[in-house]
Parts: sequence; structure tokens; C-alpha cells
Amino acid sequence: MSVAVSITGVSKTYRSKTGEVSALDPIDLDIAPGAFVSLVGPSGCGKSTLLLMLAGLLARSSGKILVDGRAVEGPQTDIGIVFQGNVLVDWRSALDNVLLQIEMRGKNRASYKERALALLASVGLKDFTSRLPHELSGGMQQRTAFCRALIHDPPLILMDEPLGALDAMTREQLRGDLERLLMANPKTVLFVTHSIEEAVQLSDEVIVISPRPGRIVRRVKLDLPRPRDLHLRQSPEFQSIVAEIKEIFLSYGLI
Amino acid sequence: MNRDNLAEYLTPIVFGVCIVLSWEAVVRLFHIPLYIIPPPSAILEQYFRNIHRIWEYTLVTGMETIVGFGVSILLGVPLSMLVAFSPFMRRTFYPLAVTLEMVPKIVFAPIFVTWFGFGFLPKILIVFLVCFFPILLNGILAFTSLSLDLTRFCLSTGAGPLRTFIKVRLPAALPQLFVGIKGAAVNATVGATIAEWIGGDAGLGYYVQIASGDLRMDIAFAIIIMLAALGLLLFWMVVLAERWLIPWHVSQRTTHGLVS
Repeated sequence: MSVAVSITGVSKTYRSKTGEVSALDPIDLDIAPGAFVSLVGPSGCGKSTLLLMLAGLLARSSGKILVDGRAVEGPQTDIGIVFQGNVLVDWRSALDNVLLQIEMRGKNRASYKERALALLASVGLKDFTSRLPHELSGGMQQRTAFCRALIHDPPLILMDEPLGALDAMTREQLRGDLERLLMANPKTVLFVTHSIEEAVQLSDEVIVISPRPGRIVRRVKLDLPRPRDLHLRQSPEFQSIVAEIKEIFLSYGLI
Repeated sequence: MNRDNLAEYLTPIVFGVCIVLSWEAVVRLFHIPLYIIPPPSAILEQYFRNIHRIWEYTLVTGMETIVGFGVSILLGVPLSMLVAFSPFMRRTFYPLAVTLEMVPKIVFAPIFVTWFGFGFLPKILIVFLVCFFPILLNGILAFTSLSLDLTRFCLSTGAGPLRTFIKVRLPAALPQLFVGIKGAAVNATVGATIAEWIGGDAGLGYYVQIASGDLRMDIAFAIIIMLAALGLLLFWMVVLAERWLIPWHVSQRTTHGLVS
């Protein structure tokens, strides 16, 4: 169960005192069913803006977005969404936070409980399902957020810098967790990040966005085997792709 | 009970006893007259001598306080929701409430006496007025502070406003709501006492006015102790409710292991 996403001429401009400011130049982007696509770019390039417009949570200034052939007008509900800051609610355990997704949709929580427990166990949280968020580490909280985005089995997952607030080692662990989760639950994914390594490890295609106003400057297709373990990531092939993308940012004077 | 716990409970008691003993000693040592500062022993004596009247009036003031406080919660919380979610209410009711808050509530006491007499109702109205605003203000903050990302998550589930409110907005608002309710609890006995002082024929505020007018500071202080007890009881009830309703909140978590 996967969907295709079609983005045509989508842009975002903000009104300011000095006139219109373009945050995102018109973007054309197609995402194939089941593909993991990353948007990589510097802060403020409009990559999160594009994700929010795709989710129907932000009005676009122009263009058309189709998800599985249907036009996006208003908040999309057949998606799973993960943000940078964990958005777990403080008063619910890890399990109940995952099941919040089900309760909010008015579905029967009991019939999803087993699946929720299995998802949490698959990211190493078997013994932490009854813990409150403040009793979990940042990485554990974000793993719980992954499970919450997957519990209702949506065909499309949107992730806005989900690993951005974590320390380097946790980030690396969670990349592996995320890769395994998605190998077990294949989805169409749009992933926003400013980490080139992260994008190359996880994606089927990396979309490189320029500094503001954002536009697509390169599309890098990746055909590396999965899971992309440490050895693969140290291979010349992997490293040359990372270097290629870094060159682009270097040319903009960003790194 | 381990040593730390014992110290936690014993320290304030020992401190309190020390204060009372030094008070007694200072008053006796410097022969301070009874009508200026009475010693604790005299206060205690007057407390027991007037115990019936004191308790009768404590009940009066307590009822005024509880009812006024309760009504301010019952009206303040829903009204804060309305202001938070309705632009119309924000433009009409909210400025009116702010303007009213800027008026010292005490000026209403004689007016309420003229309107409603010396009884229960004008006292409740004053308590309500002093309790209402902290609840309203913190309630508005509570219901408008849901993080943008959590709001977006809620939208992505397709849940309607009612379900979103019950499952996310209301529990998320509780900690800030309690800030307002605690503030109101602190104000409540002040309101009741002042209202009785200005136009009452019963209650601790009325009684303390008579006692201090007669320079019976020993009785006045006995009444003040009851007022303190009343305020503490109310505050303690709010704290208990808070512990029960939001045990998950950072303010309610144990600090054991914290180096301080």
C-alpha cells in the first residue's frame, strides 16, 4: 500500500513590509510509490515549508499537489507525521502515546494494542512501553514518535528533521532503527533534513535544495543495497555521493 | 520514615516553635503592652475563651470563601475557553474583564452592601471578583499554548475539535490552569475578609474589625490564626487536586536525587 506524490509548480511567498518574499520558488517533484525521498538543504531554504504544504497544513502560494491522484486541499489525514521536537504528550505512556493516533481517529484502541506493542518492541522499547515521556531519553521519545506515525499503517510518511534535535550517536542509532522500521513497513516517505549523510543513508533519492528562495538544484538517485550498514557507509561509492552533494553546498559558500 | 523525611517534617515545626517562644520572650522581656503586641500565651487564652464565636465565624467566612472560589472556577474556566477560541469574545468580553480587573475590588464592597445588604451574597461576589481574573487570565494562556507541532499532529489525525479538546487540549492546559486556580485560592480569603470588614455582621473579617477597634489585639491575633488556617486549608486542597490530576507534570515530580 503505497502512494505516489505529484508536486507541480508549488511555491511559497510571504508578505512582508518590503513586499513579497519568496521562500520557495516553484517546485516540480514526483515521488514514486514506495520511494524514500529526502529534501536536503540549509536552514530556511523552504524544505520544511514544502513538507507542510504537502501535508495540507500550510497554504501554498501557487501550484498543485496530488497525493495518490487526489488534490491536497486542507490537512491530509492518510499520513503519518514526525516532527523534530518530539510531540509526545506528557501525560501518556509510550504505548498510550502511540495509541493516541488511533484514539484521535476514533478507532478501537484495543484492536491496535498488540500492533503498538510490537512496533515499540521492534525499536527496542519493549520494556519501556508503560513509561511516561519524561522517563524516556530523547532517542526513545523519537522512536515512540516513529511508532505513532506508523501505527495506523498510512501509505505516506512525512518527517521534518526527525533526528535534528538528537546527539550524534543517538542520531546514528535512530537512522538504523528508522531504516529497519521502513524495511519492515514499506511506505512512501518524504524526509526533510540538513544532514547529507543522513539523507544518503536513508534515501532512494536525495533532492538538493538551494538556499532561500529554495529550488531544486540536483536530484541524486541512489541504488545502494539496504540496510546501509557502517561498512557500506564507509565505502568509496557512498562517500563519493556524499562528497558530490557537499560540493553543491560548497559552491553556495554554505560549508 | 528515614532521616531525610524526618528532617523534612521536623524542620518547619521546630522553626515555628522557636518563633513562638522568642515572640513570647520578647514581649515579656520588654513589657510590651497587650494592646500593642499580645504574647502567644494570651492569644491562645483568648482563642479558647472565644472558641464558639471564632468557629462560628470561621464557618461563615469559610463558606463565603469556598462558594465564591468555586463559582469563579466554574465560570472562569469555561469563559477562558471561550476567549481562547472565539475572536468575538476576545474583542468584547476580554477587554471588559481586563478593565474590571484594573479597578481595586474593594470599592465594590460598599456598593454590593447597598444592593444586596449585609448577608452572604455580597461577600460571595467580592470573593468571586478577586478569584475570577487570575483564573481567566491563566485559562486563556492555558488554552492557547498548545505547541504548533502538536496542533499539526492533531490536524493530521482528522480528529474533530471536540475530540482534540478532550484528548489533547484540555489535559495539556491543566498545569497552567492550576497556576490560576492557586493564585485565586490565595486571594479568596482576602476577598471574604475585606467584604466582611466593610459591610458585614458576621465572619472573621467582621470580628477582627471589632476586636482591633477595641484594641483587643489578643483576640485579633487569635482570629488571624484562623484566617491563616483557612487560607492554608484551601491552598492545600488545590495542591491535592493538582497532584491527583497532573501527576505527570514536571512541577509534581519528585525531586529526590536532586543536588541542591
